[in-house]
Amino acid sequence: MILPEFYDFCSRAKIISGENALEKIPGLLAGLHAGRPLIITDPGVQNAGLVDAVKQAMAGELESAPVYSDVPVDSDYHVVDKIAGVYRENQCDAIIAVGGGSVIDTAKGVNIVVSLGGKTLLDFQGAGAVRKKLNPLVILPTTAGTGSEMTLVAVIADPERREKMFFVSYFLLPDLAVLDARLTRTLPDFITAATAMDALSHACEAWYCLEKNPLSDALAFQAIDLICQNLLYVIQNPEDMQARLALANASTLAGAAFSNSMVGMVHNLGHVTGAVCHVPHGNCMAALLPYGLEYNLHRRGEIISQLLLPLAGPETYAATPRHQRAEKAIALIRQLNQDLHDATGGRHPRFLSEIRDRDGRRLVEKNMLPEIAEKALSDGARVPNPEELLADDAHMVLEHAWEGTPLDRTKIKTG
Amino acid sequence: MNRFTPFSNAPANLGQYPEIRPKTSCFRKAYIAVMLLVVGRGLEAAARVDPTVRRIFQQLPDGFCLCLGVGPAGPWMVAKKDKKGRLRYLGWQPRAARAHLRLTIKNLASAMRLFTFQESTALAFNYDRFIVEGSLPQALAFMRALDRVEVYLLPKIIARLAVKRYPDNSELPGWKKHLNRIRIYLRAFFPDLIRVIYKNI
Repeated sequence: MILPEFYDFCSRAKIISGENALEKIPGLLAGLHAGRPLIITDPGVQNAGLVDAVKQAMAGELESAPVYSDVPVDSDYHVVDKIAGVYRENQCDAIIAVGGGSVIDTAKGVNIVVSLGGKTLLDFQGAGAVRKKLNPLVILPTTAGTGSEMTLVAVIADPERREKMFFVSYFLLPDLAVLDARLTRTLPDFITAATAMDALSHACEAWYCLEKNPLSDALAFQAIDLICQNLLYVIQNPEDMQARLALANASTLAGAAFSNSMVGMVHNLGHVTGAVCHVPHGNCMAALLPYGLEYNLHRRGEIISQLLLPLAGPETYAATPRHQRAEKAIALIRQLNQDLHDATGGRHPRFLSEIRDRDGRRLVEKNMLPEIAEKALSDGARVPNPEELLADDAHMVLEHAWEGTPLDRTKIKTG
Repeated sequence: MNRFTPFSNAPANLGQYPEIRPKTSCFRKAYIAVMLLVVGRGLEAAARVDPTVRRIFQQLPDGFCLCLGVGPAGPWMVAKKDKKGRLRYLGWQPRAARAHLRLTIKNLASAMRLFTFQESTALAFNYDRFIVEGSLPQALAFMRALDRVEVYLLPKIIARLAVKRYPDNSELPGWKKHLNRIRIYLRAFFPDLIRVIYKNI
């Protein structure tokens, strides 16, 4: 274990996980002195009947909770301001977010505006602008991947300036995160695969990036272990609630890990690819994760080799010679992508060139790669990456990730 | 005597004792001030000599002003992009211009770790040594420029500690590095430095 000279760690959300976890929300809200929450969700979650399930679980103990169900995929601050109006009109005193990353980040934004009394979210942009305790926030993740229920960040778009605004504060951590397998049961197999690979990338990057620390390591290790034991099983047995709950827990553990140790080049390139090509985040993460490990191998070989233990289990770890463990860990992640590709009938992409929209159109064209590489220089996730990643390096990695070929190690600049 | 009552013999006139204030090391403050001056002048010179640094500052808006320093009481370094699009080092007065980007190292001890190259710029960011006020992408661009300037200003053995990756020959050929280093040193410290010192005093 590496004990860094300095680290900080904060993870103070209460986690409720297990069977009938939803039923406990009213009592826990009462403990937070709240009794009239606003439920924030998106149309997909609403149509899947998950909000009804939540309301049903809370019925009898909580007065009728108003619902805002029109959060778009790329939520912006206008949506946040609008929901804040709904919250005030209905005289709510807490927020329950039911959904994935976009819904959770929107709910965090709404909580800033309604708690601090501003007219618009723009007043609170930046790191450290939120300096007071906010109203009670309960998060019910419906995907097992984002980990946003454990992070101190909210990312919300500014459509006029065409950029993503970052809100960073420990007060954005929710009061309560509820993991109930009923919320992820309806998730299609290819989305389950992509979101779980997102969680795996959070855990792996938390494990090898510069801000790793003993506490984030412990969480990341358990997250990888749970994902590797349950992901393929859930794809083949989607009704297994225990395995679904294990994935939800893995996502939360990975979220707590990366919220405190940050992420590196996989997210750096993934964020920009997503912004330029409108690609689902989980797909980018799945395609880029093996390349992030390969690129940093010469700097973090020993640390990456330890990933083999949660990825493959103790028998394989012990049977693999020490100098081969890192390579084997990378090969296993590639194999996991291949297995998911096969198990989902090809709907889980292995490379960037395989990512397609609903009509089968390729989303990432090769001629977009130089633009992605250039824009990646402005993304904060490149700072914690162990090896320097300049535009030329990013372009080289993206070309390999697009074609699906292993990195040409001779092209990696080691200084 | 009961060992759990250590204050039982404390003098009654506690109020007369002066409050202990942390000392500021003048030497450390002076060292950081000199380093910030070198960085500021180096940035100005590198922005004219090195194409990479020039491109970084070209992408920032005209009139852009950045301030790098140590909290809470300095020292500081202020630089501004002038109307002709050139970066100018303005000196060590933080009120010389309104900063669009302010990077504050949280305390003198952290600044010493950074400027004695015990920690690279990236590691200092990761260890939360900085307060960033302004745009994060612009802060990242400034960090890239700073790394490049350190490569020019410092000998390789020290610069390797200051940057994440020391550029090899394919990134920056040796002859070019040495030639640019001479040009940056000449520009940074000879004709114009007296003007800056005179203006700030």
